[in-house]
Amino acid sequence: MRSRSLLLLSCLLLSVTKIAHGAVTGEIVGQGGQRFPIAVVPLKNLGANTGDSGRVSTGIADAMVHDLELSGWFRVLDRSAYIENAQSGITLGTFDFKDWSTIGAEGLVKGGFSIQGDEITVELRLFDVYQNKERIGKRYTGRVRDFRRIAHKFVDEIINQFTGVPGVFNTRIAYVSNSGGRFKEIFVSHLDGSEKFQVTDNHTINLSPVWSPDGRSVLYSSFKDRGQTLYLFELYSGKEIKFTPRGGGRYLGGRFSPDGQSIVATLETGGNTNLYLLDRSGNVIRQLTSDAGIEVSPAWSPDGKQIVFVSDRSGSPQIYIMDAGGGAARRLTYSGSYNTSPEWSPKGDRIVYTGRVGNRFAIFTISSDGGEPRKLTSESFDSEDPTWSPDGRFIAFSSNRAGKYHLYVMQASGDNQRRLTGSGGDDTKPNWSPRLD
Amino acid sequence: MKTRSACYVCGGFLLLVLGACAPSTTTKPDGSGARSSDSSTAGQDARSGEGERGGTKEATTGTSSLKDMQEGKPPITPASSPLKDVMFDFDRYDLSADARTTLRGNADWLRSNPSARVEIEGHCDERGTNEYNLALGAKRAQAAREFLSSLGISPDRLSTISYGEEIPVCREHDEQCWKQNRRARFVILQGRSTS
Repeated sequence: MRSRSLLLLSCLLLSVTKIAHGAVTGEIVGQGGQRFPIAVVPLKNLGANTGDSGRVSTGIADAMVHDLELSGWFRVLDRSAYIENAQSGITLGTFDFKDWSTIGAEGLVKGGFSIQGDEITVELRLFDVYQNKERIGKRYTGRVRDFRRIAHKFVDEIINQFTGVPGVFNTRIAYVSNSGGRFKEIFVSHLDGSEKFQVTDNHTINLSPVWSPDGRSVLYSSFKDRGQTLYLFELYSGKEIKFTPRGGGRYLGGRFSPDGQSIVATLETGGNTNLYLLDRSGNVIRQLTSDAGIEVSPAWSPDGKQIVFVSDRSGSPQIYIMDAGGGAARRLTYSGSYNTSPEWSPKGDRIVYTGRVGNRFAIFTISSDGGEPRKLTSESFDSEDPTWSPDGRFIAFSSNRAGKYHLYVMQASGDNQRRLTGSGGDDTKPNWSPRLD
Repeated sequence: MKTRSACYVCGGFLLLVLGACAPSTTTKPDGSGARSSDSSTAGQDARSGEGERGGTKEATTGTSSLKDMQEGKPPITPASSPLKDVMFDFDRYDLSADARTTLRGNADWLRSNPSARVEIEGHCDERGTNEYNLALGAKRAQAAREFLSSLGISPDRLSTISYGEEIPVCREHDEQCWKQNRRARFVILQGRSTS
C-alpha cells in the first residue's frame, strides 16, 4: 500500500469568517478590452515576527496578483507605483483613498496576518476607491503552508463581487508531465503551480487523469502493471482501486458522471474500442456503443443525460452525442477531418474540442446543437486537450507554442491566453477540478 | 461479433500466459543468417543502425517498447530481427501492399518457428490525442494479427498491445520522423527456433 496521499500536503482546513459586508455591485468588466485597475498591497504583519513573515506578506499578495491577471478581468497596478506611506492602516478610515485614486486604482486589496506556531490568521479586504467603501472583508484561519490557498479563495470572492459568480482559483489541475524525463507521470497542482503533488511514480506511462466530482479522487490510465487499465486514486487517503475488465481487454480512459456515481470508459477489446458504463469500482453496468471502429474520449453533459464522444465511424475522427443510456448518436462536427477530445461546458451550451488545421491542432468550441465551430487558438502552433473551468468561463489546454508542451489557460472566448506551467518537460492532458473547499 | 468475443477470451488467456514470462528476452540462436535476406522488406527503411547486441549471430526482436523506454533505449527493432515492422499512413490502419509483403515474411518465420509467441505492438505518430491514438494503435496491431491469422498463423500465438503515441522511435516533429512512428512492431515473448 502506498503512503502517497495529499494529506502529506494538507487537507482543507481553512475556516472563513465574514468580518464586514458591502453591497454587491454586480459590475461586469468587459471581456478582453477594458480591465479593471486594481492595487494589491503586501499584507501587514499584525503579530509577532517569525521566519515566515516576509515570505507570507508578499506571497499572499503575489498569489492574488497572479490570479487576478490570469482572470483577464483586472489590470493589477505595479507595486513600485504605490505612493502610500508605510504607516497607513488596512481598515476603513486608517488610510487615504486619494493615495490610490491618484495612481489610477479603482479597486484596492489590503490585509494583514498573524502567525502562531503552524497556524495563520489572515484578514483581507476589498475597497472601492471611487466610492470610498469597503466591499468585502474576510478573516481566514489555516495552516501557514496553505497561505496561497487563502489568497485564491479571496480572489474568488473578488471575482464574485465584480461578476456575480465566484472565481475558480481555489481549484486544482490534474495533468501528465514527463518532467523532462522518459516517463509520463500524473501530477496535481493549483493553477499557479503551488502545492504540486505527484500522484504516480511508477516509471511507466500514465495518462488521462480526470477528477471525481467531489474533487477527492483522480481516475487515470496506466501501463504500470502488465498492460493498460484504469486506476482510481483517492487523494486524501492514498487508497487506490485497479479496474480490471472482466471479459479481457484494456481500459484506455474514463470520465465520472456529474453525480459521481458512474463512469463512462473506453474499453479496447480485439482491436475495437467501445464505450461502457461502469460503477465506481470499475464493474460494467452496460455497454453503450457496439461499433467496429474507434469510439473514444467520452465526456458527460452537465445534467448527466448525454455523452459526447469521438468516433471514426464516418472514416475520420468526429464528435458525436448520444443519450447516456446508449443508442443512436448524432454527429456534431462536420468541418475538418480530425476532431477529438471533446468536453461539455458546465453551462451546457457549448462543447470544446481539439481540431486539426493543416498539420496543426487548435482548440475549437461548438454549440451543443451544432452549427459553426469557433476557433480559439492559432494554427501557428499546436494546442490540444481542452478542459473547462468549473464555472465554464475559462478553458485550460496544453500547447507547444513555447517549444515544449506547457499548460495554458484562456477565457472561454479565447482571450487572455496565459501560460500556467513551466516544468522542464512536456505538460499535457490537463483536467480542471471542481471548486474545492 | 461472435469472432470478437472469442478473441477476448483467448486474448485474456494469452495475457495471463505471457505476463508470467514477459520480461525475459528470448533470442533465437540460429537461423538469423538464413533470414538476413529479408532485410530489404518494407518497413526496414525506418531502422537506423543501433549498436546493441552487436557481434552475436542471435536473431532477436528486442524487448518490449515499454521495457526499452524504461531502460532508456529507443524502441528500435534490431536490424537482425526476423520479424519486421509494418508501417502505416496517418490515421489509417489498413495494410498497404508493402505491409502485406512484410507480414508474409513475418508469417514465414512464424511458420518455421511454431513455438514462438509474439506480442504485436501498435504505435502512432504524435499527432492527435493520446486516447484516440491508443485506439488507433490497437487497430494497427489487430490488423497485423488478423492478416497473419489469415496466412495460417494461430491467433493464440499473437497477442496485441497499443502504445499509441507514447513510445516513439523518433522524436522530431516532422513527417520524416512521424512515418517511422506509425508502425506495428513484433516482439518475441517466447519460443526458440525448432529447426
